[in-house]
Amino acid sequence: MNGGTRVLVSGMGSELGSLVATLLEKERWVGEVSGLDIDPPRRRLRSAAFHRIEPKDRRKMVEIVRDFDPHVVVHIAVWEPNARAHPGDAAAWTHTAAVGVLGAAAECPSLEHITVRSGIAVYGRRRGAATRPDESVTPDPTAPFGRSLLEMEGIAREAGRAADVPVTALRLAPVIGPHVPSPLGRLLRLPAVPVSLLADPAFSVIDDQDAAAAFVAAAARRVDGPVNVVSPGAITASQAVRIGGRLPLPLIGPEWRLARILTSAFGAPIPEHIHELLHRGRTADGSRALEALGVEPRLTTREVVQALYEWATVIHLRPGELAA
Amino acid sequence: MSPAADLATIARRQAAGINEIDPWGMDRDLVGVARSLARLRWRITVGGAENVPSTGGALLVANRRPLGATPLLVAAAIGRATERNVRFAGIVDIAPIGPILRRLGGVVARPDEIGGLLRAGHVPAVWCQPRITTSHRVGPAPVPYLAAALDAGVPVLPVAVIAPPLARRVRVDVGPPLRVPRRPGPLAAAELADSIRQAIQRMVDEASPPSWLLPG
Repeated sequence: MNGGTRVLVSGMGSELGSLVATLLEKERWVGEVSGLDIDPPRRRLRSAAFHRIEPKDRRKMVEIVRDFDPHVVVHIAVWEPNARAHPGDAAAWTHTAAVGVLGAAAECPSLEHITVRSGIAVYGRRRGAATRPDESVTPDPTAPFGRSLLEMEGIAREAGRAADVPVTALRLAPVIGPHVPSPLGRLLRLPAVPVSLLADPAFSVIDDQDAAAAFVAAAARRVDGPVNVVSPGAITASQAVRIGGRLPLPLIGPEWRLARILTSAFGAPIPEHIHELLHRGRTADGSRALEALGVEPRLTTREVVQALYEWATVIHLRPGELAA
Repeated sequence: MSPAADLATIARRQAAGINEIDPWGMDRDLVGVARSLARLRWRITVGGAENVPSTGGALLVANRRPLGATPLLVAAAIGRATERNVRFAGIVDIAPIGPILRRLGGVVARPDEIGGLLRAGHVPAVWCQPRITTSHRVGPAPVPYLAAALDAGVPVLPVAVIAPPLARRVRVDVGPPLRVPRRPGPLAAAELADSIRQAIQRMVDEASPPSWLLPG
């Protein structure tokens, strides 16, 4: 790998995309970094170029990708429902971005590798399903976000076949970080959090820095196939809530509908995949990441959740207060 | 520490949310409580506990009665004797029963679930097919789980459970690891299943009263 590798980062405006771009800028093997998204990057980028485009504007998307002619595509343009997009838009935008970016990349003569952001939601949580699936378990998504991710993985595989290049699908646990717009993170930080009284299953998460490190490693190592990226250990919602000093609201069934309306009114809507996580749990075997990517999460799931409660809360200032 | 103090500590940890739960949902504190409760229900004798490796994965294959509490008994007995957390396969994945059994070490009965546990260094227990008619006949061993053990390259141990219905005195014997066929393929798992069923049958026969003493 030489120092002139051109890397395209789709979804550069997301916290994860911005983080990956800043890490790529420091890599010796990377020459140019270019990115696109609907939102501007959330971090200061030293050399990376950024193109602001609408998720539905496929023509412009294709044009940018073709002009850049990337060696490596890091596709992070995936919209989690209720994170940065309404659930109704999330799947459509994810699909359009995948077709536009990956489809155009497959036609670029220099393309050598594709890494895509997927999630462990692709495994689904049907009754009797494997609790901690590894990459050999056949995906069987049971929530819209999982289905959207699996469809995107299929588009990436198709693009990889067309261009005859390896494709890494990083299946991330729910990503939590101080600036990550995560529906799970927002929910757990509410003063009172609904939890399932009858189930309270275990789930795992991943810190945003650890997820970003996995993207850079995947782009450098050019692994083929899916890799789960999950912090070790697990936690239940009621444990998380008690660690955070919040009030757990144990619910049984029908009152979940009211709880979802209320949490939505307080700025933390519960999309289907998070509702499923709270009732059926979500973990995965992340041991392949070390072997395939050479990276290991720095933080355990419990540490990531503890850190979630250590972020400073938003302080609302009135005009003039800052100067004082 | 006294049992009451132990329980108070566990209750405090549960209330603070600092009890440790693993990705399969097992709560080590509650497993300890379950082992103590099992001693109230059964007077358990465990033989061959030294055959269970102190670290790393191992598959236990045991005989069982239909609808019996054998899974909980085996997990409590071998867990207490070896200080390893035995995961019993075959829970119903429906709340609230499923989640409660998960806290005590239960897992769903799937080869990929068992394979994942073995690769992560756990000790899952799976069951021979229960026989309804003749209680002393051990049913066929479950081939898909043995295939998972062969893939993971872990020892497979026969376990004989001698527990007459409603009896208080029960015996759990762990046999030495069976010789695992070196060649890969479906025949290897099938042959291992035959050997393990025979080994369990032998252990049950040795520990049970002669058949001519049994009614019917």
